[in-house]
Amino acid sequence: MGPLTFNDIISTEWNYVIALLIGLAFGYILEASGFSSSRKLVGVFYGYDFVVIRVFMTAVSVAMITLLYLDYLGFLDFSLLYVVPTYLTPQIVGSIIMGLGFLMGGFCPGTSLTAVAIGKIDGIVFTGGIWLGILGFSEAYPYIEDFNNSGYMGNITIMDQFDINPYTFAFGFAVVAVIAFTAASMIRRKVKEIQY
Amino acid sequence: MQKRYIFLALLFLVMASGLLFLPDMEKKTQIEPSALLNDIHSNNRRLSTDEIAKRIIDGDPILFLVDVRTEAEFNNYSLPGAVNIPLQDLLNEDWTGYVDQDILDIIFYGNDDILSEQAWVLCKQLGYQNLYVLDGGLNQWFATIMLPEKPGELASNEEFDLFSFRTGASIFFGSGTTEIAVKAKPKKEKKTIPVRKKVKAEAEGGC
Repeated sequence: MGPLTFNDIISTEWNYVIALLIGLAFGYILEASGFSSSRKLVGVFYGYDFVVIRVFMTAVSVAMITLLYLDYLGFLDFSLLYVVPTYLTPQIVGSIIMGLGFLMGGFCPGTSLTAVAIGKIDGIVFTGGIWLGILGFSEAYPYIEDFNNSGYMGNITIMDQFDINPYTFAFGFAVVAVIAFTAASMIRRKVKEIQY
Repeated sequence: MQKRYIFLALLFLVMASGLLFLPDMEKKTQIEPSALLNDIHSNNRRLSTDEIAKRIIDGDPILFLVDVRTEAEFNNYSLPGAVNIPLQDLLNEDWTGYVDQDILDIIFYGNDDILSEQAWVLCKQLGYQNLYVLDGGLNQWFATIMLPEKPGELASNEEFDLFSFRTGASIFFGSGTTEIAVKAKPKKEKKTIPVRKKVKAEAEGGC
């Protein structure tokens, strides 16, 4: 049956409408959970707030487990899902740069937009920085093109690459997530509480 | 608050560990419905009786005829070299090796198209390859190959060529076409009624 768009159960036009609605809901929940505050995100690095880790690890594992169950029950064809292609070295470098931006600015691209939506000045400046960064990357592209396209490994997943049973991997990931949540709450208790 | 987190974490772990205990399900992967529909609409799967006859005569090594009728019907008459897989047994594991392969051309046939088309759809859905249907089934086979009809006098050369091929094929497959030609309309025996000739009376007398 699924993915719904591939099998023409949802047409391309409706696909965009639904994407817009999901995006609105996502932004609303981000804002409502306090992600539009830069201190919330930076808290992960300083050890006083681990909501980001909790939210994203929960999201990833819930999605993974649900997809595997749906695939098993025949509601969804796992092999038709889009897998982002891997360019190993450029992606490592890119994630370091992104992480630095995260730490310095206190936003990720999504949360910076929610901050803009509620009129935070630091969010507006951060978003301006994103546009500058995009412009800089585009202008410099001819010089970094070779590096950008190096280390191509195709549309792989960890399970394909290391030949791990997806079910075992999902279970292992869930265990790691729960351990991370427990460790995070223990660290949090030791660090001085910060009001913001 | 804390209790709720512990409950959710446990639920989460239970769901995740459930994945480990899923029994191995052998998935019968089906092809996309749209692809199936496309193939149903295209008539590429239908092979004419002439084509099949020619391939049997030529001894085509990749030709694999599957008779989907019952065993009794198969024993009564079947095409040379055909294998009998009744429709209800088609998806038995014993037969899967015959129909799920990519080397031979599988031609399903029945008395007509009904059973063979069903067999074709079933196998096609499961993604099997090189599947065909004998167009018209054995009825068509008899009408064209075993008992070919002589084209009319105004028919084209191709029709006569086809007829001569079919006549040859029917002899090959052991039909008594020649016999039939001979049988055609035994002449009515004329009843001979003996007619007594009138004896002409000789003219008597003279002038």
